[in-house]
Amino acid sequence: MTVRRFHAEIGTALATGAVGATAAIGAVGLGYGWEERGPQPGYFPFYVGLILIAASIWNMVSAFAAHRQATAHAEATGETEEPFLEREHLDRIGRFIGAMIVFVIATLFLGIYVGSTGYIAYSAWRQGKYRPISALAMGAGFAVSLYVIFEVIFKIPLLKGPIEPLLGIY
Amino acid sequence: MGNFDLLMQGFGVAITPMHLLLMVAGVLMGLVVGVLPGLGAPNGVSLLIPLTFSLDPTSAIILLSSMYWGALFGGSTTSILFNIPGEPSSVATTFDGYPMARSGESTRALTLAFMSAGIGALTGVIVITLLAGWASNFALRFGAPEYFAVYFLAFAAFIGMGSAAPMKTMVALTTGLLLSTVGMDTITGSVRLTFGYSELLSGISFLVVVIGLFGIGELLSTVQEGLRFRGVASKIDLRDVLKTIGELPRYWATSLRSALIGIWMGITPGGPTAASFMSYGIARSASRKGKAFGTGRPEGIIAPETADHSAGSCAMLPMLALGVPSSATAAVMMGGLMIWGLTPGPMLFATKPDFVWGLIASMYVSNLIGVVLVLATVPMFAALLRIPFAIIGPMIVAICFVGAYTVSNSTFDLWLVLLFGMVGYLFSKLDYPIAPLVLAMVLGHKAENAFHQSMVLSDGSLAIFFANPLVSAIMVVGIALLVVPKLLAFGSRFRRRIPVE
Repeated sequence: MTVRRFHAEIGTALATGAVGATAAIGAVGLGYGWEERGPQPGYFPFYVGLILIAASIWNMVSAFAAHRQATAHAEATGETEEPFLEREHLDRIGRFIGAMIVFVIATLFLGIYVGSTGYIAYSAWRQGKYRPISALAMGAGFAVSLYVIFEVIFKIPLLKGPIEPLLGIY
Repeated sequence: MGNFDLLMQGFGVAITPMHLLLMVAGVLMGLVVGVLPGLGAPNGVSLLIPLTFSLDPTSAIILLSSMYWGALFGGSTTSILFNIPGEPSSVATTFDGYPMARSGESTRALTLAFMSAGIGALTGVIVITLLAGWASNFALRFGAPEYFAVYFLAFAAFIGMGSAAPMKTMVALTTGLLLSTVGMDTITGSVRLTFGYSELLSGISFLVVVIGLFGIGELLSTVQEGLRFRGVASKIDLRDVLKTIGELPRYWATSLRSALIGIWMGITPGGPTAASFMSYGIARSASRKGKAFGTGRPEGIIAPETADHSAGSCAMLPMLALGVPSSATAAVMMGGLMIWGLTPGPMLFATKPDFVWGLIASMYVSNLIGVVLVLATVPMFAALLRIPFAIIGPMIVAICFVGAYTVSNSTFDLWLVLLFGMVGYLFSKLDYPIAPLVLAMVLGHKAENAFHQSMVLSDGSLAIFFANPLVSAIMVVGIALLVVPKLLAFGSRFRRRIPVE
């Protein structure tokens, strides 16, 4: 699958427009007019939301215009429109984001130390082609240095899961 | 010379063993952050802010600003040795720095870059020293309408002077403003735009957003490129260093011009990135005959580096004196100031002279430390980039998430980092600028407050923004910045009748 720049532009413009619309609708609920003591709480977000919607529409229109020019150019010269993300790039990004999401979910359940150990060990093992044992050592080393820097030196507690208390760390 | 006495007093504050140690630590951390992809100055500073809560504000700002200088130096190192800009503002350094290093003169290229950077930074600090007292006195005359006008000016400058499409800058700005309104509103006391999520009650922290946008976002761009560093040998030969320093005075005109460009772009919200590109462009068009630019010309390194650093240091002046940061990193630092309970602006000079002048004095010292340290440690930090990405990448990801978690110990922030990481990647792929979003998030509350107070003063009439010469002048400059650059571009295109591609 290849993502075209045109589609990405349209998608982003739709998303930013939706953010603007959400804010404006939320602001209407708060009141966007005037009262005795000045503007109501929704005044500022309401109008900023409207500006955001307008700017998003503008970006969408210019994306369409650029796309039309590009297709005309492509028909004239036989070149295809520049792709936004090639399949190969998409695969790489997808794998990276996937691992990151698993890391976040693991962190929520098992804590940052276990999460990051697993995440770094997995990447070193699968992508870095290290032996599982050295990959695991790297992950554990990283987690230990996190512990030393944050909890020992700066006394900032990080998120812990069910495993740390078993090791006597609170 | 009141400023001079104050500066000397500032040196008294800055030069203590503890602060010197913080400067060295800050510069070293900055170098790491500048060298590694995905960790830049803005999110390096964001990651560090939660760790500074236990320090007193003066020590904290010295640590953070030293980290900023270190990151600027580190960014140039990778530009020259690896052709990978560690910071957006050192992109222009790759044009001539990498070719020069490739041709076997890496020491010369690095020395030129670091010395020019040091010169640029020192010029910037001298300008700050001279202007600080004046700027804060000037700002004392500001009321709510004037402040709103200044914020308007800052936003307008981003839209008018930025290199991105104006409407894309507008999207970034307004998104930032909306994000800043989420949560409990301090003026009216009402809860806004949380849509029932109790996690949003205290608002969205700009630190978390910066870590996502700059950290994860930049990392994703690096992943997409499929990292393969092709570095140049990075041994530093002291004799070459000295020889290159001797060569510097020959380029005094380039240095001076670039420093001036940097100062201008640093004080107005152009920022270091725009300054370095502009300076490179002007140096190229002003150059006499010689080797072509892009093949390793010394001026091609001196111009962007000097401008980058003078803009970087000058960006601190409007932040301190007016509370309007002109770069993303300065915006993050200003957010830090507010977290420590300080209000940037003219009153800061009156109430906390030790803080302000200690910071300014530390900028002299830590830049000197920076030049020396970076020359001494380049080979070590260049080695960092030889660590395979499969290991360093996930480590950076983990550090970003840990840093975001320490901001307010909230697991909800982890999801925000993930979300804004993808937003940051998409935005940079599609040429949406990110710095205005951060600036708007930091300034959003203050801009809204100023607007609200002005409206209360004027009973709801927008005429208050043109009520006296001062505020009208600022508004007119703002509107001019918004409109004139694009009109000029449009006009010249029309005159030359160049067909629009």
